[in-house]
Amino acid sequence: MSLALRPARKGERLGLWARVLRLNWALLLLVAAIAAVGFLMLFSVAGGSLEPWARPQMLRFAVGFAGLLIVAMIDIRFWKAVSPLVYAGALALVAAVEFVGVTGMGAQRWIALGPIRLQPSEVMKVALVLALAAYYAWLPPEKVSRPFWLLPPLILILTPMALVLMQPDLGTAILLAAGGAGVMFLAGVSLWYFAAGAAGAAGLVSLVFASRGTEWQLLKDYQFRRIETFLDPSQDPLGAGYHITQSTIALGSGGFSGRGFMEGTQSRLNFLPEKHTDFIFTTLAEEFGFIGAGSLLALYALVLVFGFASMASNRDRFGSLLTGGLTLTFFLYFAVNVGMVVGLMPVVGVPLPLVSYGGSAMLVLLFAFGLIQSAHIHRRS
Amino acid sequence: MTRRDELIRVLGDQGAERIAQRAKKRENAREARRKARADLAEWRLWLVAGCFALGYATLAGQMALTAVAEPEEPALEVAGGPPLAERAPIVDREGRLLAANLPTWAIYAHPEVAARAGIDAAEAAQLLASALPGVGEETLRARFAPGRKFVWIKRPASPAEKQAVHDLGLPGVEFGRRETRIYPAGRIAAHVLGGATVGAEGVDHAELVGLAGVERRLDDALRDPARAGEPFRISLDLAAQTAMTEVLEAAMRDFKAIAASAVLMDARNGEVIAMVSLPDFDPNARPDTRDPVVAKTRPMMNRAAEGVFELGSTFKTFAAAQAMELGLYGPETMIDTTGPLRVGRFRISDFHKMPPQMSLRDVIVESSNVGTARVAIAIGAERQKAFLDSLGLLSPTPVEIAEARLGQPLYPANWSQLSTMTISYGHGLAATQLHLAAAYATLLNGGLKVKPTLIPGAPAPTEADRVISAQTSRHLREMLRAVVAEEKGTANLAEVPGYEVGGKTGTAEKPSAGGYDGGRNITTFAGAFPMSDPRYVIVVTLDEASTFKYGRTWRTAGWTAAPTAGLAVRRIAPVLGIRPAPAPLDPADAAGAAARARF
Repeated sequence: MSLALRPARKGERLGLWARVLRLNWALLLLVAAIAAVGFLMLFSVAGGSLEPWARPQMLRFAVGFAGLLIVAMIDIRFWKAVSPLVYAGALALVAAVEFVGVTGMGAQRWIALGPIRLQPSEVMKVALVLALAAYYAWLPPEKVSRPFWLLPPLILILTPMALVLMQPDLGTAILLAAGGAGVMFLAGVSLWYFAAGAAGAAGLVSLVFASRGTEWQLLKDYQFRRIETFLDPSQDPLGAGYHITQSTIALGSGGFSGRGFMEGTQSRLNFLPEKHTDFIFTTLAEEFGFIGAGSLLALYALVLVFGFASMASNRDRFGSLLTGGLTLTFFLYFAVNVGMVVGLMPVVGVPLPLVSYGGSAMLVLLFAFGLIQSAHIHRRS
Repeated sequence: MTRRDELIRVLGDQGAERIAQRAKKRENAREARRKARADLAEWRLWLVAGCFALGYATLAGQMALTAVAEPEEPALEVAGGPPLAERAPIVDREGRLLAANLPTWAIYAHPEVAARAGIDAAEAAQLLASALPGVGEETLRARFAPGRKFVWIKRPASPAEKQAVHDLGLPGVEFGRRETRIYPAGRIAAHVLGGATVGAEGVDHAELVGLAGVERRLDDALRDPARAGEPFRISLDLAAQTAMTEVLEAAMRDFKAIAASAVLMDARNGEVIAMVSLPDFDPNARPDTRDPVVAKTRPMMNRAAEGVFELGSTFKTFAAAQAMELGLYGPETMIDTTGPLRVGRFRISDFHKMPPQMSLRDVIVESSNVGTARVAIAIGAERQKAFLDSLGLLSPTPVEIAEARLGQPLYPANWSQLSTMTISYGHGLAATQLHLAAAYATLLNGGLKVKPTLIPGAPAPTEADRVISAQTSRHLREMLRAVVAEEKGTANLAEVPGYEVGGKTGTAEKPSAGGYDGGRNITTFAGAFPMSDPRYVIVVTLDEASTFKYGRTWRTAGWTAAPTAGLAVRRIAPVLGIRPAPAPLDPADAAGAAARARF
C-alpha cells in the first residue's frame, strides 16, 4: 500500500491504476460533500422541489466531476505545457464578451457557446493561476524579485483585470488581482513589492472615490452605492441595502440551531434576493443555524488544509504553485461570498463555490480541482 | 578515468584539493540557498495559512454574532428614500387650518413576483378588488397582464385601504408613502389657496406641487425645508371669508346673478381679509375643465384677483379725488351737468335727469356721468393716467396668488380725451376688484398707498407712499359716506346702522359684440367702514344681477351690489370685532338716519 502510494519519481510515467490510487481522496470527498450541501439548499429554496435548480445543478456536477477525474488523470506536465494556450484562450474569451456577450443583471458577463452559457471571467481565474505557476516554474528562483522579471506576471494579471473591469465586474477583477498576487507571493516575490502594491491599491481606491461625480467617474453609480450601503446598510434598507438587511435578518432568524430544513421564512417568502445564487449561504444559515453554516465553513477549511498540505508536500514547483494558487482562489471565492452575506464586505456578486446555482463557476471550479488532483498525483518529493 | 583523477594528474594533488573544496563550497551554498528557499516557501505558506485563519475567525465571529442577535425588523422609519421636505400647512391669520397634508399611500405591484409565488392575475385582481372598493376587478386583471413588470393599483390610497391590502398578504404587492394635500374648509377660500397636486413621482415618494393660487405662487416658500413643516400664515380670516361666501351665495340667488365676487381688505396696510369668487369649486376634488358646464361657468377662475371688468361709476371717486388734490375743485364747487355731452359721434348722458348744476359732492352722491366727464376734461389725459397709475390701476396687483399676474388691467393704447372722459366714470378701463379695493384703501385711509397682499404683518405705508393729502382723503370719506347715508345717494341700501358704511356704486354694461349690452350689467359697490376712520375696504361685484321691485326690474348697483355689501358688513363687522357706533357722528348721518327711518 505504502509502495503503491509513493510519490512518482522524476520522469516516471504512472499507469492509469497507479494514478487512480494516488488521487487525493480526502479532497475529492470534500468537494462532493460541499456540492451535496448545495443540492440540498437548492432543493429547499425551490420549496422542496428538484426543479428548477437542484436537478440541473446535480447534472452539471456529474458532468463536471467526470471532467475533474479526466483532468486529474492527465499528466501535470501536459497542463504545464498548455498553460500559455489556456491563458490565451481565456483572455480571448474575456475580450470576446465585450463584443458578443449577453448582458445579465446590468453587467455584460456571459458568452454563449452553443448550449452552454459561459462566464469567461470565471475561466480566467483558473487560467491566470495556471499561467503564473508555469511562469514561476520556468523562471530561475534568483530572478523572482528582479523588477524586470516582475513585468510579465503583472501584464498577465492586469490585462484580464482591465477587460473584466470594462464589463464591468468589480468583484471578479478584485478576485483576479488577489489570486494573481497570491501566486506571486507563494513564488517568493519580495515582500517590498507587496507593500508597494498595497499602498498603490489604497491610493487607487481613494482616487476612485475622488473621481465620483466628475466626468472621469471610474465606477458605476451602483457600485459606489453598494460600497456606501455596505458601510451603513441601514441607510437604505429598501433600496441598495436590501440584500444585506434581508440576509442579516435571515442569518439572525436562524439563530444557533436553525429553523429546520425547508423552514426558512426569509428565503421561502421571497424576501431574500438571489436566494439560489449569491445569497444561498443565508438560506443555509437560516435553516440550519450557526451549526449548519459553521459546518459548511469547516468543510471549506478542510479543503484549504488538504490543498496546502498537498502544496507543501509537492517538490514540483509548477504543481506546488498551481495547487497553492488554486486553493487560494477557492478561499477568496467563499471568503468574499460569506463576508458579503454576513455584512463584512460589499455586495459584489461572487457565488459561493460549489454551492451556488450556476454553470460556469461550478464547471470551472471542478476543472481547478482536477488540476489540483493532477498536481497531487504527479507530485515529487 | 574520472574527471577528478584527470585534474589530479594535471594540477597535482593540492590544486585538485582546492578545486574539490571549491566545488564542495559551491555545492554547500547551493544547498543552503535551496534550503533558504524552501524555508521561505514554508514560511510564506504559514503566513497565508495565518491570514486564512484570521479571515475564518472574522467570518465565524460575525456569523456567531448575527446568530445570537435578537431578530430585528429593519427600521422602516427611514424607508422611502431621502426624507422629503414636507409641504408646510397653510393657516389663516388666527391660525385656523386652511391646507394640510394627509399621509396616504400608493399601492403598486410587481405582477411577475406574484406570478412566481403562484398567484395568477385573476386571483390577485379578485382579492385586491375585494379590499379596495371602487377599483374594478376587470381593470385590475387587465393591469396584471402577463409580462408586466410594474403596475399601479391605487394612488392615493387611504391608510385604511393600505391596511386592507396589506392584510391580504399578496406577494409582490407593495406600498409607497404619499402625502395628499387636503383643504379642510372645502370650497371656502378655494380660489385663494388654489390647490396642489402630485408632481414628480417615484415608487416610494412623490412631491406635492402648487397648482394655482397661493399654493403655486408661494410654492418655494411652502416647500422650503428650513420651514420644517411649520404652518404658513396668510392674512385671510376664515370666519370673515365664510360669512362673505354665504352672503354672496344668498345674493346670487336673490338677484339671479350668474357670478359674484368680493374683496375685504384692511384699509391701513392692504392685507386681504376675505376674497370670494363664485361660482367656486372644491380644491379637494378639482372639477374637470373639459366638462361643458365647467367650461361655461368657469368655477376655477378667480373673479376678484384675475378677472378684469369695467367697474363703472366706482371710478368717479378717482376723478373727484384728483380734482380736489389738484385744487381744481372743492367739494362744494359747482359743476355744469347739462347733458348730454357730445364728443364726436359719442354721447355722454346720465341715467336720470339731473339739475343743470351740481356741487362736486353731489356729482358723486348722485353719480353724474356728465359732471364727472367735465371734471375729467379739467384734469386732462396725462394727469389722469399718471394718477390712476399711482393708485396701481394700470398694472397687475402684486398679491401672492399665481393668477393675479393675469389680472393685467385693460386700457386704451391711445389715451384720448374721449377715453379720459369715459374712464372717469369707469368705462374704457377694465381692472380687477382687487385693484379697486387697493385704490379705495389708499384714497380713504388718509392718502397713503397700500398694496394688496396675503402675507400678514405687512408694514403700514409711510409718508413716502402718500398719493393724496389727508385733507382730500377726509373730503372723499365725507362724500362716500353721504352716498350711502343720504336718501338721494345711489348706495343708500348699503347702510348698516352704527357702522358708518361709505362707498360708491358702479354699474357697467357688459361688453357684447360691437358695443354694450344694456340688459346685462356688472354691478359693483366699493366702499369702506367705519367711515370716520376706515378699518376695512369692501368691494362687492355681481354679474347680471337684477331685482324686481316697485313694479319694475332693476339692474343697477344701487339695487343689487349695494344691499349685498350692506349685508356683508352687517355679518362680517362683528366677526372682525368692530363694534357699532352708538350715535351718528356727523350731520350727514342725521339725514341718513332719516332716510333709514323710511325703509
